[in-house]
Amino acid sequence: MSDIQKILVPDVGGDEVEIIEVCVAVGDSLEADEGIVTVETDKASMDIPAPMAGELVSLSVNVGDKIKEGDVIGEMKAASAESEAPAAEAEPASESAPAAQEAASAPVSEPAPTPAPSGGSEIIEVTVPDIGEDGEVDVIEVLVAVGDEVQEEDGLITLETDKATMDVPSSHAGIIKEVLINVGDKIATGGVVFKLETNSGAPAAIEQPAAPAPVAEAPKAEVSAPAAAPKVAPVPHHPQAGDIKATGKIYTSPSIRRLAREFGVDLTLVKGTGRKGRILKEDVQSYVKYELSRPKANAGSSLGAGEGGLQVIAQPKVDFSKFGEVEEVALTRIQKISGPNLHRNWVTIPHVTQFDEADITEVEAFRKEQNVVCEKQKMGFKITPLVFIMKAVANALSAYPVFNSSLSEDGEHLVMKKYFHIGVAVDTPNGLVVPVVRDVDKKGIYDLSKELLEISAKAREGKLKAADMQGSCFTISSLGGIGGTAFTPIVNAPDVAILGVSKSEMKPKWNGKEFIPRLMLPLSLSYDHRVIDGAVAARFAVHLSSVMTDIRKLVL
Amino acid sequence: MSNEIKTQVVVLGSGPGGYSAAFRAADLGLDVVLIEKYSNLGGVCLNVGCIPSKALLHVAKVLDDAKDMAAHGVTFGQPEIDLEKIRQWKDKEVVGKLTQGVGGMAKMRKVKVVNGYGKFTSDKTIEVEGADGNTKVTFDNAIIACGSSVVNLPFIPEDDRIIDSTGALELKDVPGEMLVLGGGIIGLEMGTVYSSLGAKVSVVEFADQLVPAADADVVKIYTKHNKPRFESIMLSTKVVAVDAKDDGLYVTFEGKNAPEGQVRYDKILVAVGRKPNGHLIAADKAGVNVDERGFINVTNELRTNVANIFAIGDVVGQPMLAHKAVHEAHVAAEVIAGKKHVFEPRCIPSIAYTDPEIAWVGVTEREAKEQGLNIEVANFPWSASGRAIASARTEGKTKLIFEKESGRVLGGAIVGINAGEMLGEIGLAVEMGADAEDVGLTIHAHPTLNESIGLAAEVFEGSITDLPNAKAVKKK
Repeated sequence: MSDIQKILVPDVGGDEVEIIEVCVAVGDSLEADEGIVTVETDKASMDIPAPMAGELVSLSVNVGDKIKEGDVIGEMKAASAESEAPAAEAEPASESAPAAQEAASAPVSEPAPTPAPSGGSEIIEVTVPDIGEDGEVDVIEVLVAVGDEVQEEDGLITLETDKATMDVPSSHAGIIKEVLINVGDKIATGGVVFKLETNSGAPAAIEQPAAPAPVAEAPKAEVSAPAAAPKVAPVPHHPQAGDIKATGKIYTSPSIRRLAREFGVDLTLVKGTGRKGRILKEDVQSYVKYELSRPKANAGSSLGAGEGGLQVIAQPKVDFSKFGEVEEVALTRIQKISGPNLHRNWVTIPHVTQFDEADITEVEAFRKEQNVVCEKQKMGFKITPLVFIMKAVANALSAYPVFNSSLSEDGEHLVMKKYFHIGVAVDTPNGLVVPVVRDVDKKGIYDLSKELLEISAKAREGKLKAADMQGSCFTISSLGGIGGTAFTPIVNAPDVAILGVSKSEMKPKWNGKEFIPRLMLPLSLSYDHRVIDGAVAARFAVHLSSVMTDIRKLVL
Repeated sequence: MSNEIKTQVVVLGSGPGGYSAAFRAADLGLDVVLIEKYSNLGGVCLNVGCIPSKALLHVAKVLDDAKDMAAHGVTFGQPEIDLEKIRQWKDKEVVGKLTQGVGGMAKMRKVKVVNGYGKFTSDKTIEVEGADGNTKVTFDNAIIACGSSVVNLPFIPEDDRIIDSTGALELKDVPGEMLVLGGGIIGLEMGTVYSSLGAKVSVVEFADQLVPAADADVVKIYTKHNKPRFESIMLSTKVVAVDAKDDGLYVTFEGKNAPEGQVRYDKILVAVGRKPNGHLIAADKAGVNVDERGFINVTNELRTNVANIFAIGDVVGQPMLAHKAVHEAHVAAEVIAGKKHVFEPRCIPSIAYTDPEIAWVGVTEREAKEQGLNIEVANFPWSASGRAIASARTEGKTKLIFEKESGRVLGGAIVGINAGEMLGEIGLAVEMGADAEDVGLTIHAHPTLNESIGLAAEVFEGSITDLPNAKAVKKK
C-alpha cells in the first residue's frame, strides 16, 4: 500500500551543483513540485522539486553536498489513495527512474549513496508521535498483539486525550515483536509502545526512537510508614545497567535528584536555570512553590467533590427498574471524555448568558444569491449562514479583545490573543466535537465555506486530529438547523465566551410606522464573568448583531 | 536458656552494609540490634576481603618497587621475608584495628550486637543461635545484609593445598608453583601478592580477557605489563579436573590455550566468583522471596516483597562491592526512618588493586555500544605524563567516555599505578552531569597522574597541547 519512490535530481543545467539549503525534513508531507533542497549553480539557485505529493521518507543529502543530474537525494512515499493521487502524472523524472515501486526493492545500481539501511530486517522501537498533549494520555485500546503483521500507518493503539481519541500509527511495516504497554497505561509523546521487526528494505533508520520517555518513571505513591503496605511488588534491581540511559537526560546532581524525590517532583518537568540548563536547587524549590500556589485545574472535575470547596451531597442511588422497564447503555467515548471537562467548566466558570437577536434578512438574501452563483460555477460547496456568523464573530472579537483572551493559570493575568481561531461545535454520530478554524479574520467567505465543509466531514468520519481541535479563541455552537429559541451554552475553557445560535424565524418588527417581516436570528452569548463585564458583553452582542444585519460593516 | 529482645530495627550481618545500616538507623533515633555470626564485626570486607588483601598488596608493591629501582641505579639486597610477622601486622594492626573501631562505634551508638547465627522464624522474629544460648529478636523492621560466599567448583577435591580467597589471605606459606583459577579481580590481586613473594603463578580464565567486566583496551595494558609476572596466562581456557596426589596437584585444562596433559602445581587458588547467601537465613519463614541463585529482589527503596523487611549488599545483586552496600544501607535505614529516599546512583566504581591498577566507573565502551549510546572516547596515554615518566611507570592510560552530542561524561577507566585513587573524580563527573568542558576547565595540579583526567577531557574538547591534537584547525 505504500509506494516508496526515489527522488532523482532533474536536469540542473550544469555538471555538479552544491546544496545550499535543505527545505524539508524527513516525515514532512510534501505537495508535488514543492522544493526539497535548494541548489546553487553558477548562474542561479533553484529548488529540486518533489516528484509527487507524499511523505518524505528519507533524505540522503546535506547542505554542502554536491549533486548532479540523476543522483538520488532521498525517497518519498506517495500520498494515500484518497488524495487525488496525482502521483503518476506529476513525475517529471519517472522515465529515467528505475522501477522502484515495490517497497522492498533493493537499490538498483544507483551511483549515489543511499544511507538508509535497506535489506535485512531490524528490530525498532515504535514511539508515540507528537500527540499535541504536554502530559500523559491514557491507552484505551491495544489493537495488535505480538506476532501480528502490520503495515505502515496501521493503527497500533488507541489513545485518549482530554479532547479526543486517536490511533497511534505504525511507523514501519513489520511484525510486532513486543508489546510494551497495556490498556490503562499512561504514555507521553516519545514513549515506546512496541518493538517491531521491520520488513526488509524498510528504511529503518529514519525514525530514531526518541529516548525512552523519562516521564515513565512518574513518582509512585510511596509508602514511607513501614508498618502499612501489605505486599510490595519487588522490582528487580540493576543499579548500574541502564541508569545512565534512563536518567542521563536530566542535567543535575545527586543531591537535587534526592530533593526532587522527596517532594515528588518529576525532574523532566523542571526547567534548569543553571549554566547550560543545569537544574539547581532553587529550580526545584520554585517549581514546588509554583505547583502549590497555582489553582488546581482539576478541582471539581473528579467525582470526589469538595476539593475546590464544593461540598455537595452524593446522588442518591435509585433503582429505576422498580418503576418500569429499563436498559443500561454506556456513554460514548466522547461523552466520557467531555463530561468531566464540561462539569469542570460549568462549576469553575461563573457563567452569564446574554441573549440577543440579529436581523439577518439582508444577509440571507445575499447568501442565497451567492449560492446560485456557486452552483452555476460548480464550486462544489454552498455558503452557510454559519460562515457569516464566524466572520462577524471575528470582527466583534477584534473590536472587543477581552473576548479573545484566556485567564492565566495563576488567575492574575489575561493572555490576549492576536489571532482569530474559532471553534465550531459539530454534532457527530459519536458525540459533540469542536474542530477549530484558524485565522478566520484573514479568510474569505469562499475559503471558510470550503474549510467548514471539509472539517465537518472529517469530524463526522472521526478523522480529526488533536491538533485540529486545539487553539480556539472562541466557540460557536449552532443549533439553528434544528430549532429552539435560545439556550445557555457552556464556555469551552480556556476560551472565555461561547456563542449559541438558535433557529432563525420570520418576525414582525416595528419600523416606526408599521410592522414589517424580518428574519431574526436568536443569539445566546455565554461568557466568563471573571473576565468579561456584563456591559461589555452586551456591547459585543449588539456589535455582532449589527454586523450580521449589515455585513458591509465587515469591511469597514 | 533463652533471651528475648524487642527492637525497632534488626540488621542481619555486620559487613560494611550491615554495620552502616545499623549505625545510620541508630543515628536517626531508632533502636537497633545487629546480628553477627563471627566474633568480629566487619564481615568479609574487613576480615577476609578488601582490607587484608590491601595489606598484602602493599607488601607486594614495596617488594616490586625496590626490585624495579635496580634498573634506575638503586640496588637493594635480597629481601628477607618473615611471613609470621607479615601475618601479625595484617591481622592485628590492620584488620584488628578496623574491626575494633567498628565495635567501638557500635557501643558509642548504643547498637546492641548479638553474636550468633540468625535465622528468620516469622516476619517479626529472628532466632539467633549463639555460643551462650539462643536469643529471640522481635523486630518492627529488618535489614538483611547477609552477604555472599565464595563459589566452590564441584569437580575440585577437598585438599589443604586448594584454597579460596580466605585461605590465600591466611598466607600459610609461599608455594613454588601456584595456579590461580579465575582471572577476575580477586584472583589477580592474590596472584600479584604470591608472585611478588616469590611464587611462580599461572592464571587460567574462562573468558577471552582478564577482568572481563572492564574494557578490552584497558585490560590489554595490564595483561601486557604482567606477562613477566606470571608463568602463563591461559585465556579462553578452563580447568576440567584436579588430581590431588602426594607430590602435588595435577590439573587438566581444556580450551584454546590449554596445555597438553596434566600440569603439576603446589597450590591452587580458586577465585571464580561469589554467590549470594539468601538461602541461608530461612527467609521463607518471613515470606521473603529468594530467587534460585540466592538473590533477594528489592525495590529501589531496598524493600523486599515483605514491606517491613529490607535487604542490601551482595545478597540483592551485582556488583558485589562494599561501597555499593554502604550506600544501599543508608537508603534502607533512612526509608525505615520515614525518609523518602531511594537508591539511584548513576554509577558504581570498580577497582582491581593489581599492578598496574585497573579502575572503571560508569558505562564502559562496550556497554555504551550495547546500549546504543552515541559516545566519543578520549584517551590520554601516560607516556605523555611527566609524573608517570618520573615514576618509571608509563604503561598506563586514562580513558573518558563522553556522550557525543552533549559532551557529558558517561564513564571512564584508568589503568596505571594509583588508578583507583584517581577514579573518584570521574565518578563525581558522572553523578554531577559534568561535561568535557567542566572537567577540562578544572585546573588539575601538575605534575600529577590525576591531571591525565583533565587532559583526556581536553582531548575530547580539542584543546589538548600535551599531545598531537587531532581536532586542531587544519592550516591550508
